Amino acid sequence: MLFNFREKLNSRKFLVTVEVSPPKGTMFSAPLEDACQLKGVADALNVTDNQCSIMHMSSLAFSKLLLDQGHEPIMQLTCRDRNRIGLQSDLLGAYALGIRNICLMTGDHPACGDHPGSKPVYDLDSVQLIELVRKLDSGIDFAGKRLDGGTSFCAGAVSGIDPENTLQLIKLEKKVRCGADFIQTQAVYDVGMFEEFMEAVNHLEVPVIAGLIPLKSLSMAEYMNKNISGIHVPEEIRLRMKDASSPIEEGLSIASDTIKELTKLSRGVHIMPIGSHKNTPRLLSMAGISGK
Amino acid sequence: MIITSAKTFEEILGLLKDEDNIFVIGCNVCAAKLKTGGEPEVLEMCRRLEESGKHVVGWALPTAACSIRSFESLAEKNEKIKEARCILVMGCGSGVSAVASVVDLPIYGSNNTLSLGGSSGGKLLSNQCVMCGDCTISEYGGLCPKSQCPKALLNGPCGGSVDGMCEVNREMNCVWTLIYERLKRINRLDLLYVIHAPKEHGFK
Repeated sequence: MLFNFREKLNSRKFLVTVEVSPPKGTMFSAPLEDACQLKGVADALNVTDNQCSIMHMSSLAFSKLLLDQGHEPIMQLTCRDRNRIGLQSDLLGAYALGIRNICLMTGDHPACGDHPGSKPVYDLDSVQLIELVRKLDSGIDFAGKRLDGGTSFCAGAVSGIDPENTLQLIKLEKKVRCGADFIQTQAVYDVGMFEEFMEAVNHLEVPVIAGLIPLKSLSMAEYMNKNISGIHVPEEIRLRMKDASSPIEEGLSIASDTIKELTKLSRGVHIMPIGSHKNTPRLLSMAGISGK
Repeated sequence: MIITSAKTFEEILGLLKDEDNIFVIGCNVCAAKLKTGGEPEVLEMCRRLEESGKHVVGWALPTAACSIRSFESLAEKNEKIKEARCILVMGCGSGVSAVASVVDLPIYGSNNTLSLGGSSGGKLLSNQCVMCGDCTISEYGGLCPKSQCPKALLNGPCGGSVDGMCEVNREMNCVWTLIYERLKRINRLDLLYVIHAPKEHGFK
């Protein structure tokens, strides 16, 4: 019997993680209800940290709310808003509240969000943040002072999936050298490209959980191809979306086909729907994934 | 070179709304190069202030507004400064501060100070250095990610760049792409694998 995300990570189980967002405000019942549909379906829930630099309730608080409902959260933590004091302080607090999984990333620039004039912090970068967590895990802080109780986090990081992007591959290698326990990736549409990426990072021996964003329309596919780094929606998929009588259903069908391919290539799949998780359980069932 | 941009004349007039008998001080180094505080700009400022009903008692153009010996040294350039009720400095923030340290009058700056930059081949370069006091620029082939990357990332690019352009400004090259190309040209791609510690940000 497998209990927690870390144990599952070390098993042979194909993992399902999903992305959930804290509310923009203090009312948390609707997002908790949305997450409720994922019980028995997802192994862990990534909780975004002010995604797209749009101010929301903290990832830490919403992770705790999810934990209290019996979910297993992966608290996302970016370098954007906190210096090394704030980051460590929140990490200690999260651990004390029972949060055991985190996913560390740079974070979108404030200029991209709804408070464009706020000060970008980036005291540390995502590589250094992994190093910081490993220090807390060893019972000392970033300045070398002994902690009265350290942490023991299962700490992941993120990566793009372009096998031609040398800089990105080198950065991923640094993250693994610093001790990343798992990697969650940018959305996969081009399975061939993802396969090449997996070959390029095979030597790193780190579990890779492949990202997935179900398409909702042709224009969404075109927008992502043009504006999102490393995302490549191939012609074949765009044609399927173009000809579809129900683009949402076609998007799910494409995602389901992709998941089936990914079960042979990655350690799991990370689903990031735009909007609610209404279709997530059905998508996983279409792909033949039973969940827990 | 300190990169400055001129505030609009309307904003400057707003700053000076309760002031009169103004003495204008330009800067014959960076601001002169950038045409935000050289002699032509100082003369134009005096003319427009007078036109707007303000009395300008005089002006001076020290070699560098950020390097002022004393009030007397300013008075030697133009003793009208002794009649001034306020000072308008057409330099960078450092120039305003240096003048303020020798003149006990209300002081105003006509420019916004943007970054430490330079020029190369006639092209203006901004954000070349953030004066962190902990220089590791040689590790990056002579291009500083601390200053040129909006996220100051020291260990490689973020996931936001598209086709080598920056997430924050799609018209701007991602400095990490430039670093990569430069290190390739000088045969030092090995430097990309170094794990860099964060900077020490103590007050310097």
